[in-house]
Amino acid sequence: MLFSRRLMLGLAMAGTLASALAFPALAGEGPTEIDLFFPVPVDGKLARDMGTLIKEFNEGHPDIKATAVYTGSYDDTLIKTRAAIKAGKPPSAVIMSANFLLDMQIENELTNLDALIKADGTTKEQFLGQFFPALQGNAVINRSVYGVPFHNSTPLLYINADKAKEAGLDPNKPPQTWAELTDWAKKLTKRDGDKVTQWGIAIPCAYDYCGWMMETLTMSNGGRYYNEEFGGEVYYDTPSMLGALSWWNDLIYKHKVHAPGATPGPAVSTSFISGNAAMMMLSTGSLTYVRDNAKFAYKVAFIPRNVRNAVPIGGASLIIPAGLDADKQKAAWTLIKWMTSPEKSGWWSRATGYFAPNMAAYKTPEMVDFLNKNPDAKTAVEQLDVAKPWFATYKTVPVRKNLEDEVMLVLNGKKQPKEALVAAQKAADETLKPYNAETSLKLP
Amino acid sequence: MSLAEPAALPVATTAAPRLEVIRRFTTRFKASLPAYLLLLPSLVFLALFTYGAMGRVVLDALYQRATPKAPLRFVGLDNVSAVLADPAFTGAVVNNLIYAVGTAVPSIALALLFALALARTHAVSSALRAALFLPVLIPMVAASALFMFIFLPNVGLLDFYIGRLLPVLPNWLGDPDVALYAIMVITIWKNAGYYMLFFLAGLQAVPEDVMEAAHLDGAGPYMRLRHIILPELKPTFLFVIVIATLNAVTQVDHVFVMTQGGPSNSTNLVLFYIYQQAVEHYDVGKASAATLLTLAALMSLTALSFRTMANRDGGP
Repeated sequence: MLFSRRLMLGLAMAGTLASALAFPALAGEGPTEIDLFFPVPVDGKLARDMGTLIKEFNEGHPDIKATAVYTGSYDDTLIKTRAAIKAGKPPSAVIMSANFLLDMQIENELTNLDALIKADGTTKEQFLGQFFPALQGNAVINRSVYGVPFHNSTPLLYINADKAKEAGLDPNKPPQTWAELTDWAKKLTKRDGDKVTQWGIAIPCAYDYCGWMMETLTMSNGGRYYNEEFGGEVYYDTPSMLGALSWWNDLIYKHKVHAPGATPGPAVSTSFISGNAAMMMLSTGSLTYVRDNAKFAYKVAFIPRNVRNAVPIGGASLIIPAGLDADKQKAAWTLIKWMTSPEKSGWWSRATGYFAPNMAAYKTPEMVDFLNKNPDAKTAVEQLDVAKPWFATYKTVPVRKNLEDEVMLVLNGKKQPKEALVAAQKAADETLKPYNAETSLKLP
Repeated sequence: MSLAEPAALPVATTAAPRLEVIRRFTTRFKASLPAYLLLLPSLVFLALFTYGAMGRVVLDALYQRATPKAPLRFVGLDNVSAVLADPAFTGAVVNNLIYAVGTAVPSIALALLFALALARTHAVSSALRAALFLPVLIPMVAASALFMFIFLPNVGLLDFYIGRLLPVLPNWLGDPDVALYAIMVITIWKNAGYYMLFFLAGLQAVPEDVMEAAHLDGAGPYMRLRHIILPELKPTFLFVIVIATLNAVTQVDHVFVMTQGGPSNSTNLVLFYIYQQAVEHYDVGKASAATLLTLAALMSLTALSFRTMANRDGGP
């Protein structure tokens, strides 16, 4: 009721606005007007930075008038984009969470960008070649390009260097394996009777973050979270994920170096900043926050491995929704290419803390200068060599939640890892069933 | 009150000829035409934004896709039975029942207590009333953001103070056994002051002379509360119970901000379940079916309580 009424009102208003905007374009005079939907997943300053960026674009492109529309979180942006598509007035471009692309493509909501790339006289390989290879997996579906990486992240290990030194550990040689990390966490945990006054490590688990962390741990344990080539399969009930969840469970209940329960990301970073947790695993997106707020020396390092060094990417890509007029599509494509150029990509990276997906951005003098001043920003980029795509399946969010609900039970000591993963696999297979029914199980 | 409720008047039900019925109907319609005209503007808006949306929900609830690329087809009540068979929905209903009872009873009890304590108007009670009403003025989303910091494990305000007394504290929002109750605390904190207003108004209506008579007859404070004040407040109680129940279903802002229904669906309420079906599962049919079920439950509840209330009001 509440939502539908708000939605109706929103749609009515959006419709009026959009038709008002569409008329000059029909008359064939004035610039092409396009909307860019953008989310702000981290600090609020991003909205102002986006305003600056779009203003600069409009000044350089008199035949296009782009408007940046703030649309809330990643999830909200998906909702609003879908509502606008349903109302027949899709935005011209959207900054969309990278792992929603597959789901949107399955629902026929994305424009295939191959034709636009071809019209520019470049090949797909040349176009994709600008970006870090790790980012291409989430942008390409069935060998067609559907998204352009805009800002991205990977998980990192953050270490309170002061506390490490206090415990006799060398913060310049951070733990590289799970065994070393367990050892560090034990040495960094302080107890006062039953009460733990300082936890060795904190790993976030709330919807969204939890799935990403499970993918991180599973990958560094040699495994895969999902089938990268096909959206109908996830690998929850596997030895590599069992090892990952068992280790997380052991950190809490065997080694007692990680606080029990599911802790959301902001609580983890607050805990680290306040000195209550000596190490944490968190996104590179939090690096600016830690840099601005930590009153102690800190270090960032790769996520330690058990079998191999590997992490998933996070972040967002630029997409063009389906069902747009050709002139708007072309204008949006111009905007997207401009926003992901080395120079703008680097500027956005320095403003936000995400890394720049365009490799050439790191060769610009401003970026070289910035990395010399902030060497910790380099770790995220170096880790990209071992990064792989973010899980994306049919109905990504519910499939992810099937796992997260079970992981939360384990972290709260209510289930053992094995039975939790069996239950998660069963639930996810059920969610994926309709998709498999029309793809892998649709037989001649 | 000692007055008995008047018995219903017997109504003559002699059957009139058909023509007579139609004629009576048209005259009655003519008589009430101005009233309908006056209601028309609001009816137009209600139709646009409320009944229209409800009609759409009914329609949407009847359609479903078999596979992602298949076209929508008519499935009748399949969506409704799918919702009823979904353990997440039944879980949300159970959570919502616990939540409704667990927030309505304490917040109404607190509201009554506050109202009784602050019934007389003077400087101190006015200040206290304002203080107790303050949470109502804070938007739920802002309040939730505040409480997230209060509930932070190890470093939050709550743990900072209680942590001195108890060595091991629960992870308030991260433990499936505790999270729903943590959420309930916020609702009680937020709504008690609001319901207090209704009770304050209700207390003004308790007749002074009856209270004085009881006083002279030697009735103590408890006797006066039990036999005069509470019976007089019955309509207020009914009204507040309806409001509190509606709130328990429609206020999910804090679930949205603080827990997203987690951990492990332990704070998932019906409205949030509907949101999840519509947005996360992108399943409009199931979301509409769940909306219909909720609407039906709420409407019957409201109708029932208002009828009871009308009966009560028909008394003295």
